Amino acid sequence: MSEPAIDPEHSPATPPGDPSDWSADRRALDALFSDAYEELRRLAATVRKGDPSATLSPTALVNEAWIKLSDSPHVAQTSRLHFKRIAARAMRQVLIEAARRRQADKRGGGTPFVTFDDSMAETGTAADELLALDEALKELARLSPRQAMMVEARFFGGLDLQETAELLGVSEATIVRDWRLARAWLASELRTPR
Amino acid sequence: MSDREARWARVQDLFHRAADLAPDAQRAFLHAECRDDAELRADVESLLAGDAAGTPLLDGSMARVAQALLPDARTIPIPEGTFGPYRLTRVIGEGGMGVVYLAERDDLASVAAIKILRDAWLSPARRERFLFEQRTLAQLNHPSIARLYDAGTLEDGTPWIAMEYVEGATLGDYCRRKALTVRQRLQLMRAVCEAVLHAHQHLVVHRDLKPSNVLVRDDGSVKLLDFGIAKQLDRLDGPADATRTDLRLMTPAYAAPEQVRGTPVGIQTDVYSLGVMLYELVAGVLPFELADRTPGEAEAMIVAGDAPRPSTRAGRAYASLSRAEWDDLDVLCLTAMHADVARRYRSVDALMRDLDHFLAREPLDARPDTLAYRAATFVRRNARAVTAGSAVLVAALLLVTFYTVRLAQARDRALRETVRAQRIQRFTTRLFEGGEEGAGPAESLRVVSLLAAGAAEARTLDLEPAVQADLYGTLGGIYRQLGDFARADSLLGMGLAQWTRIAGPGSVEEGRASVALGDLRTDQARYDDAETLLRAGISALSRSRDQALALADARVALGRSLTERGEHARAIAELDTVVGTLRARPDETTELLDAMGELASAHFYAGNYDTADSLNRQVLAMTRRLFGEKHPRVAEDLMNLGATEQERGNYKEAEGYFRDALARTVTFYGENHYRTAGNLVYLGRALLLQNRYPEAKEAFERSLAIRERVFGPNHPNVANTLNELGSLALRENRYEDAEVAFHRVLDIYTKAYPGRNYRTGVASGNLADTYLYRKDYRRAEPLYRDALATYIATQGPEHLNTGIGYIKLGRCLLRSGRFREAVPETERGYAIVAKVAEPNVSFLQAARLDLSIAFDSLGDPAKAQRYREERERFLPKPAP
Repeated sequence: MSEPAIDPEHSPATPPGDPSDWSADRRALDALFSDAYEELRRLAATVRKGDPSATLSPTALVNEAWIKLSDSPHVAQTSRLHFKRIAARAMRQVLIEAARRRQADKRGGGTPFVTFDDSMAETGTAADELLALDEALKELARLSPRQAMMVEARFFGGLDLQETAELLGVSEATIVRDWRLARAWLASELRTPR
Repeated sequence: MSDREARWARVQDLFHRAADLAPDAQRAFLHAECRDDAELRADVESLLAGDAAGTPLLDGSMARVAQALLPDARTIPIPEGTFGPYRLTRVIGEGGMGVVYLAERDDLASVAAIKILRDAWLSPARRERFLFEQRTLAQLNHPSIARLYDAGTLEDGTPWIAMEYVEGATLGDYCRRKALTVRQRLQLMRAVCEAVLHAHQHLVVHRDLKPSNVLVRDDGSVKLLDFGIAKQLDRLDGPADATRTDLRLMTPAYAAPEQVRGTPVGIQTDVYSLGVMLYELVAGVLPFELADRTPGEAEAMIVAGDAPRPSTRAGRAYASLSRAEWDDLDVLCLTAMHADVARRYRSVDALMRDLDHFLAREPLDARPDTLAYRAATFVRRNARAVTAGSAVLVAALLLVTFYTVRLAQARDRALRETVRAQRIQRFTTRLFEGGEEGAGPAESLRVVSLLAAGAAEARTLDLEPAVQADLYGTLGGIYRQLGDFARADSLLGMGLAQWTRIAGPGSVEEGRASVALGDLRTDQARYDDAETLLRAGISALSRSRDQALALADARVALGRSLTERGEHARAIAELDTVVGTLRARPDETTELLDAMGELASAHFYAGNYDTADSLNRQVLAMTRRLFGEKHPRVAEDLMNLGATEQERGNYKEAEGYFRDALARTVTFYGENHYRTAGNLVYLGRALLLQNRYPEAKEAFERSLAIRERVFGPNHPNVANTLNELGSLALRENRYEDAEVAFHRVLDIYTKAYPGRNYRTGVASGNLADTYLYRKDYRRAEPLYRDALATYIATQGPEHLNTGIGYIKLGRCLLRSGRFREAVPETERGYAIVAKVAEPNVSFLQAARLDLSIAFDSLGDPAKAQRYREERERFLPKPAP
């Protein structure tokens, strides 16, 4: 399995200047990233509203993104699994960006808010937790890359057991074991203030 | 394996083995395994503690995280910055990509909704989509679609658009709150369909139709919102292109199977969503219960498409309609949302027609077209009458009455069709009119599917001659605009013959049909026939009192015909009369606008540029009054003003007008519209005449790419652009390129315009130029003579083109050393051009140069000197 084209350390989110100098790949990834963002947002909104007509889960979301993008030249050469892995990274990246912005807003004071309610406090916690998870995942990647990739694929990409096993080239039983271990490791890591 | 890895493997192994043990057993196990290695034991214990505690984040769903982190409308700050004349007051909602604010405009005491792209920094693709919505809204102009007011960008690059603010309830809420009856709900849906139809006519597919995207005001008027994921089609009768990278997920409940599957979408995708909305509004529930399904199951249900009939799910609402009415509604809803695109209504138009049928208690088009069904329909609608009398009598009466009623209905329906078709025709007439686009686009454009429907309609109406004659006229007119003269000829001819038979010679109807055919004759360059037919029409129409505007149109048509054949004085006289008559009316009409525009053209082609210019300015002012600043007619008027400046040799001014017009056209129609291509040609020409070749080339090539795609490779509009590219090649001394281009131009024009047409003259003349440059005078001369003869025949002996034709012929003779023959030709051309153009235009300068050379060679240095001095006087002054 080759490395996916998106490196979470180098977000494709902020390409400054002239779009003409991007490659087609870059554009396809940008489109993927945009889709991930839009879908996350829609997902968030439907969860918020308890909209009964929405049936989407992260799994569905990534599946749909693949269907939509599978005609683009870049994605056409990519296996569905590989694509899903890229999508998982895009999702992770979108959420991390959002969390960083949240923290920056909190620190900077900044612009007045339209309305105030206690969802703000909750948001702050979620941002902190997610950034902590992100750090812990990076640490886990140093210790055990496969397990880190598995967490990313399952949590951010919504891959199921079978897909995750196929992606990582291991048995489903191994995934079950790895998941339990990684979850325990991350839990202990997150409980320990660093 | 490094120590670290080995240790980690050991920790994992111990964890797995210990994890499921009871606490006591766990302790014993670790004690036995770790012995003195306290660190190892601590690591495993820490993992075990983590296992027991878990991580709320990982154990929860990513959706919850997304919900908490992605700011929603409640927590979004009001952005700072300037929004044109608007001031944001509060958040009113979240759209697909952005947040919508209510904004006030203090100077006009009015409000607007301002939509801002959320997190514009995230990705350029989202930005493009947002700007696409802006362009889409700019194109659409319909009372049931929220209008675009303004657009801009904040300092940090965040784009925003200001649109009409609509205060109302969503479609679903409105129906519930007002407890509307099924019929009232269908009426509302009909209004929604009209808005969608308008979008389709502009090649825009909405793709996210659902009740929450439709607002209903208190007065019951509807507004369609959120074109955030709309798609621009290349053509109406085909599917959208297959690049679906920008297809965001729509709400699954309203998504068509092709959207779920990810196959291309087209106008019928919107028909499907409208079908689901209809279903929901009449049955009170969605067709598929998707709530507790996995996404895979939901997809499968949508694709399989066997929704239960709405009548079976209507609950208490069932009692409000008869069994038979429910039968019809079942057919209507399930046809609209048929999983198989081929069995769905072919267009929103077709869906609306059946809505109308239902509301008018007529048989549906979607119904199997059998007599049994129709008779059954009739019985149902007249149940009380049928119960009396004997069965046999009833059956006999029934059939007779049925046919009578059916005929009346057919006629009414056909008349409605005609009104609609005429609307379409007016629309397409607007679409294709304009000088160099006179031949109209190829059949690939949107009208074709409408025409096919119309033709089918005309065939089924063979029992109603009047309606049929009307339809012949309408369809013939559209084919004429499409440039299909043969089909137009046959349809318009049949229409005229039929009216003569039904309404009699000299009737108003015959008159109108004559005018329509006469207009076509003008296009065919059969000017004598055209004049005869137009005059017959004018005479018939002038006998009727209430045909003033039709009469004006007929006279404008005559004026145009005279202009085209080069009889400028008669054209101007005719059009002056029309304009005078229309000006005497109390109201400003579009007929007056058209007449003045035609008069301006007549003056333009007659070379009266000052008059043309002043008329065009009046036309522009009037267009602004009648249609507003954003209407595409404004761009057309600006193009005409630019063309006049161009002909006067004021290229810089012309460029200014063309750029203004181009910007408007792009905003309105988009970068790749054939109208954009037309504007680009004019702009390129203005640049070419200023010797800005690379810029000119870019403009022409952009135009050529669009036109070849839209019209196909053998269309006169393609020739038009090729001609410019040829001229440019000539100027850059790329003679072979030029020859190839001009040959293609001449081929296309000769095929497209049999008989004489000034365009063939232009092509011959330009091809001759390439031979002249290559000193191949023997091939050049006959082409020049041919071009000149064509100009004289089609545009008149005093036309600018004729003048240029003489100058070019003179130059060819001069270059081949035939000075004595050259002088009279060049002098004649010089005299003609000098009358109509600025004294410094290049053709006059060329003539002066040629004449000075010719007179030198003929031993008349005085005359030569005179032309030489004149030429120097008009040479461009070096910048101070």
